[in-house]
Amino acid sequence: MSSKASITVLRPREEVERLWRDPHYRTEHIEGAGATVRFVQAPGDRGTEIHVELGQSARAGKLGQAVQKLRGSEPLSKAKDDLRRFKQFVETGEIPRSDAVPEGELLERKFKQRPAQPLTQDELQKVGA
Amino acid sequence: MRATVWSGRNKVQVENVPDPKILNDRDAIVRITSTAICGSDLHLYDGYIPTMKKGDILGHEFMGEVVETGRGVQNLHVGDRVVVPFPIACGSCWSCKHELYSLCENSNPNWGMAEKFFGHATAGLFGYSRLTGGYAGGQAEYARVPYADIGPIKIEDDLADEQVLFLSDIFPTGYMGADMCDIKGGEVIAVFGAGPVGQFAIASAVMLGAERVIAIDRYDYRLQMARNRARATDIINFDENPDVVEQLKELTAGRGPDAVIDAVGMEATHGHGAMFAYDRTKQANRLETDRPFALRDAILACRPGGIVSVIGVYGGLMDKFPSGALMNKGLQLRAGQCHVQKYTKPLYDHIRDGHIDPSFVVTHRLPLGNAPDGYETFKHKQDDCMKVVLKP
Repeated sequence: MSSKASITVLRPREEVERLWRDPHYRTEHIEGAGATVRFVQAPGDRGTEIHVELGQSARAGKLGQAVQKLRGSEPLSKAKDDLRRFKQFVETGEIPRSDAVPEGELLERKFKQRPAQPLTQDELQKVGA
Repeated sequence: MRATVWSGRNKVQVENVPDPKILNDRDAIVRITSTAICGSDLHLYDGYIPTMKKGDILGHEFMGEVVETGRGVQNLHVGDRVVVPFPIACGSCWSCKHELYSLCENSNPNWGMAEKFFGHATAGLFGYSRLTGGYAGGQAEYARVPYADIGPIKIEDDLADEQVLFLSDIFPTGYMGADMCDIKGGEVIAVFGAGPVGQFAIASAVMLGAERVIAIDRYDYRLQMARNRARATDIINFDENPDVVEQLKELTAGRGPDAVIDAVGMEATHGHGAMFAYDRTKQANRLETDRPFALRDAILACRPGGIVSVIGVYGGLMDKFPSGALMNKGLQLRAGQCHVQKYTKPLYDHIRDGHIDPSFVVTHRLPLGNAPDGYETFKHKQDDCMKVVLKP
């Protein structure tokens, strides 16, 4: 089972490292998983690669992984959510929300999606929109 | 508001749903004045695109009036008349910066899911399953438009809705099909499928300087429109003679067309005999999602060293892909959901300058409430149906 996740962000390395430390852009699951994070200048005009490797404590055995999957708390998938959201926030200034996934990219939503139609007032409040 | 929702295979209905709200700063809400049913909506209707859910609002070809904007939208104002491109694109990722808008790296919030199907996720699309983000579509009274500062094009002339509505998808899609053929003047281009996208691929190939354009379909009314309105020079009706490859070679004295456009996609019907039975059975049993007759013949017919341009929609996997012909004939295979935002401005200029009036494809106009009839008529090509426009 891989414990690595990575993404490329279209910004210079210094800016990516600075924003990574900015609490406004905080990647809580990666922080909480005791991960090592490397920033590498991407080839050509691609920006910056972020490579995350989860710490030993975040890895689980086969049974543990199954439980984590069911609870939607699998550390690697949560780390991937974090990376997606970081990229989206840095590049576009917001986290894209759809009607099926109103919170934005979210592991817990993967198998529990809404119909693609607008949210009711109650639902809007629940997702903090 | 009222909206057209998917409720299972071959079933859509118009229902009351909540009105859309601004969810992000770069959103806008559009009151829809015209919206159309697309051939690719039929793949959803027929149940061949995975990850649809009961209650999904359909529709990705729409235009209307801006009624609300988020704080981050400076270029649009309440009252503006806009056409909305079907891909949702952020405008600031690497793909968008390179005008590959349908490959936007940020607009699809189901990235993790889509990656499992396609290796990578692609842009969010309106009304087109969870693989493309799970966004509500525009066959409705209102729609929420994310990244409204990038996509919508303002219409500032007194052109009718039907003249500009197709900037949302089928005109740019057909145009991109021709654009990918690298037409420099004097080519022979063959277009599989004379549906609405095929009509615009033909018209665009002519506009770009192709010398001959061959339309291929099984419906005479579509071939007549291809000849009379889109200006195809030749037509092939494969109901009369199913050997399309042979006919294309005959029309080009053995060379084959310089480029072939597949404007058919995953539900092709011109296979015949044993091959058709084989693919249709596998598809019905969900062992393959895509019936590949058009693409197979496109590859077999294309002249050595030519280009095969795929704009018909495919959703999964196909059998018996002619890899030997592709490789040994040195063909270039190009494809994609249209990068609509790249084409809206130049094509709007073509419409304004009178080079083309895209409304020629419209055959049916219905109130939104009759959307279910529209889907049936369009699916079964009843009443010489080419394009259905719905009025909310």
